[in-house]
Amino acid sequence: MADRRVKRGLRACLLMLAAAVLTACGGGGSEGSQGNNNPPPVAITKTEAFRFLDQATFGPTETDAQRVIDRAYAGWIDDQIATPASLELPYLQSLVLPSGTQLSPSDRLDAWFRNAVLGPDQLRQRVAFALSEIMVVSDQSALVNVPAGLAYYYDLLAQNAFGNFRELMEVVTLNPSMGVYLSMLGNEKPDAARNIRPDENYARELMQLFTVGLVELNPDGTTKLDGQGQPIPTYTQETIEGFAHVYTGWTFGGSAAFFLPSFNFLRPMQAFPGFHDTGAKTVLRGAVIPAGQSPEKDLEDALDYIFNHPNVGPFIAKALIQRLTSSNPSPPYVQRVAARFDNNGAGVRGDLGAVVRAILLDAEARAAPASGNTGKLKEPLIRLIALWRAFNGRAASGRFLFDQPQVFFGQAPLRSPSVFNFFGPDHQPTGEIADAGLFAPEMEIVNEYSATNMTNYLLFSIYLRNQAIPGLLPDDIYIDIAAEQQLAADPQAMVNRIVDRFTGGQTSDAVKAQAVAMANRVPLSNPTLRVAEALFLIASSAEYAAIR
Amino acid sequence: MSSVTRRQFIQSSALGLAGASLAHLPGAVRAELLGSNAAFTDYKALVCVFLFGGNDSFNMVVPRSVAEYGVYANSRQNLAVARDVLLPIQPLTSDGAQYALHPLMPGIRDLFETGRAAVVANLGPLIQPTTRTQYLNRSVPLPPQLFSHNDQQDQWHTLRGRAAIQTGWAGRIADALASETVAQQIALNISLNGTTPFQAGLDTLPYTIGTTGAPIYFGMTTAPEDRDRRSAFEALLAENWPSIFARAFARVHRRALDTADLVNSALALAPTLTTVFPPSRLAQQLAMVARLIAVRSELDMSRQIFFVAAGGFDTHDNQVADQPDLFADVSASIAAFHAATVELGVASQITTFTQSDFGRTLTSNGDGTDHGWGGHQLVVGDAVRGRDIYGQMPRLEIGGADDAGAGRIVPTIAVDQFAVTLAKWFGVLDTQLDAIAPNLANFAQRDLGFLT
Repeated sequence: MADRRVKRGLRACLLMLAAAVLTACGGGGSEGSQGNNNPPPVAITKTEAFRFLDQATFGPTETDAQRVIDRAYAGWIDDQIATPASLELPYLQSLVLPSGTQLSPSDRLDAWFRNAVLGPDQLRQRVAFALSEIMVVSDQSALVNVPAGLAYYYDLLAQNAFGNFRELMEVVTLNPSMGVYLSMLGNEKPDAARNIRPDENYARELMQLFTVGLVELNPDGTTKLDGQGQPIPTYTQETIEGFAHVYTGWTFGGSAAFFLPSFNFLRPMQAFPGFHDTGAKTVLRGAVIPAGQSPEKDLEDALDYIFNHPNVGPFIAKALIQRLTSSNPSPPYVQRVAARFDNNGAGVRGDLGAVVRAILLDAEARAAPASGNTGKLKEPLIRLIALWRAFNGRAASGRFLFDQPQVFFGQAPLRSPSVFNFFGPDHQPTGEIADAGLFAPEMEIVNEYSATNMTNYLLFSIYLRNQAIPGLLPDDIYIDIAAEQQLAADPQAMVNRIVDRFTGGQTSDAVKAQAVAMANRVPLSNPTLRVAEALFLIASSAEYAAIR
Repeated sequence: MSSVTRRQFIQSSALGLAGASLAHLPGAVRAELLGSNAAFTDYKALVCVFLFGGNDSFNMVVPRSVAEYGVYANSRQNLAVARDVLLPIQPLTSDGAQYALHPLMPGIRDLFETGRAAVVANLGPLIQPTTRTQYLNRSVPLPPQLFSHNDQQDQWHTLRGRAAIQTGWAGRIADALASETVAQQIALNISLNGTTPFQAGLDTLPYTIGTTGAPIYFGMTTAPEDRDRRSAFEALLAENWPSIFARAFARVHRRALDTADLVNSALALAPTLTTVFPPSRLAQQLAMVARLIAVRSELDMSRQIFFVAAGGFDTHDNQVADQPDLFADVSASIAAFHAATVELGVASQITTFTQSDFGRTLTSNGDGTDHGWGGHQLVVGDAVRGRDIYGQMPRLEIGGADDAGAGRIVPTIAVDQFAVTLAKWFGVLDTQLDAIAPNLANFAQRDLGFLT
């Protein structure tokens, strides 16, 4: 025991040391890759592997934890980056639909759950989900019945999750679902006769929400202040109008004419030069896009100017950190990750793989929690998926037909109420979190109403959707707790086994004691209920709701 | 006991662990225990209808006199509502022009014409009175990030201007009235649209409910077979978790458990209303508000602020096709709600008002509008000095005296003035109003006069 504590202390020191080295050399080189000064490998405990997988996947499994232990964090990330994307659209296109029916939003969610629960590319899927909450499109809009188009959009996020951010900006910008959602599609050049000017929607949100944010940032993500102590706006209304003129002339790809749209949601948008404004445009930081360029060249220039704004690194670094590891990253943490965005070590800006690696390998994410303020609340929907992943949740039909997750969990993929996502990065719930000046984005969708509903769905998924329930229908998604049931005669052993499998030992004695006591109240003749009672208390606990 | 220490006492007892037992005492007993000596003897409620996305209210209230309609139509082009289908209104006071409502708002038109609804003209977030020239020269302090959805929603909710204020003005009202409303069994602020900064207080917490009431925890009722599970669940909520996030999460559950049975048993006593509500989400939220108002006495409620919302107002695209349905929903839902308050005999005790991110550009982007600034809002209820337009209708001219650019209209009334007029009617003392509305001191008119 003492020995283990010493080892743990050593490991923390080594991680701090590694971080210090990274900072000192401007963030060059990833942990465990090259060089002779690598610290000797230190064994990762199962508990540590589970905590890492809580941050990097849709939920830890013992198999994945063993892979993390075998390959170490950096090796596991390398493997994941090399794993090709599990895609939604090909799956949807392979579905044999009942005659007379079309793909529905539930089919799209089936594809999404399938990849979230079963995809071998867990890190990629998790980062894609994070990106889908930053570069938001939603079916709570004119896209309400465009499941294939939204699947295609999501696939682009997955395929570019470790690619270059500049490329991601471009595929997102030219995606017709985004084009419809933020009305760049069909946006025309000004026409004085009709008293019209270009639509400003995409111009505004691409900067405000997807790339640079509202105010100038320091490299560590804190707000830069002017001489009067005031924040400095990143752009003005005039900047937005400049970009709005850039984004004119685009409609669905394969259209016969600007006003004869193809409605093809499965290919990039296409420009019609006759509808594009060819004047000069003043854009970010006073840069001027010259007159007379093609729509495509204007777009390339505009995206380049945004991509090269110094805000993008800290802005995206902080946004992804908040989605994966921490609601309140320290400025140095943000700065270390932003530095990797600015330069991946090989002189490349915008390497998202390097950014994700930096987020997960950073000492602040890997060291044991320094205080109660570290970490974050798990996204509510991820708690359900983690249950399914740990306990082999699936339906006999092989499908994941759960089409209203937002009703129970306050969120569903590509189903945000607005472009501002289900929750904002600066949400501060009243009480000790706001009093401490901290943020808890996910708490914005946890209120009395939703908290009850999510707990109810977990209860349903455990008590009424497990392998021992008779009469399950082919599409019912059920967990397999048969192995735990075998231990039901010894509640202590049973709970230890559940905790091992579900949380990798991250569960406290207090929760375990309640789980054991609850199981003990159930007659031994009902071993399934013994497991269910214990598992529910663990899965619904406030402790399990947070990542430390 | 000074108000601060009393507030701290209330917070530590009513919201703390002791609150669990206090909550079950009769209201009057609790009021006495907690030292309240100024409880309200009447009932009033404010109902905020937030129109998310930025309502294009320049098509909701439209000039119909020939000259003014001509200016409007020239600015709006293909987005203009045809003059011959508008619903005329006859405000008691006239600025020389004549006005009308959108053709799909007959419910609001009837309420207006019978003196139960008013229009508040051209309001928006302001820090101090601002002219077009001052805006263009940036010679007065302006709310940050004008024309941005979430920032301007935030201004409407918090009135923060450029200050770092975390609370909403409804939350601050609840804080200000904490002593007078201490006997209330549930929170003063109730949202039917999830968490909103509008209702965030410093000392008081809002309560969130659904359109069918408070959901109950499955398998955790007070029935014998559920009792052990519920005790175990509650025991874990009470743990002092190391994570600040876990503690916040547990507190939400604690409140949900404490409140759900209370609210649902009260709701079970609600009379069946003959008023028929439309099926829209907005109307269904208002239907639940009406039911909660119906059982106000069961819950010892004397003051309530409800938050309901509708979305889809960000009409960048297809405005001509989409906007009529939005206005029809607002009108029919609010009219049904008003009818329900008449049925319940509380129409003069309930004031409903709209808010929205911003008005929209007068100019078109081809088939829609972009983010603007000032816009009109509706106030409805029998306490409203209705059938009138409060404030000054803007000149709807591109490049005109009220145009900040592209037909973004500079507001002439601050949200602070609007909020304070409502708060004062609600029972907030004059001395507390500046704390509710931090920019109020910069404006000469503290009460817009639309409430009796």
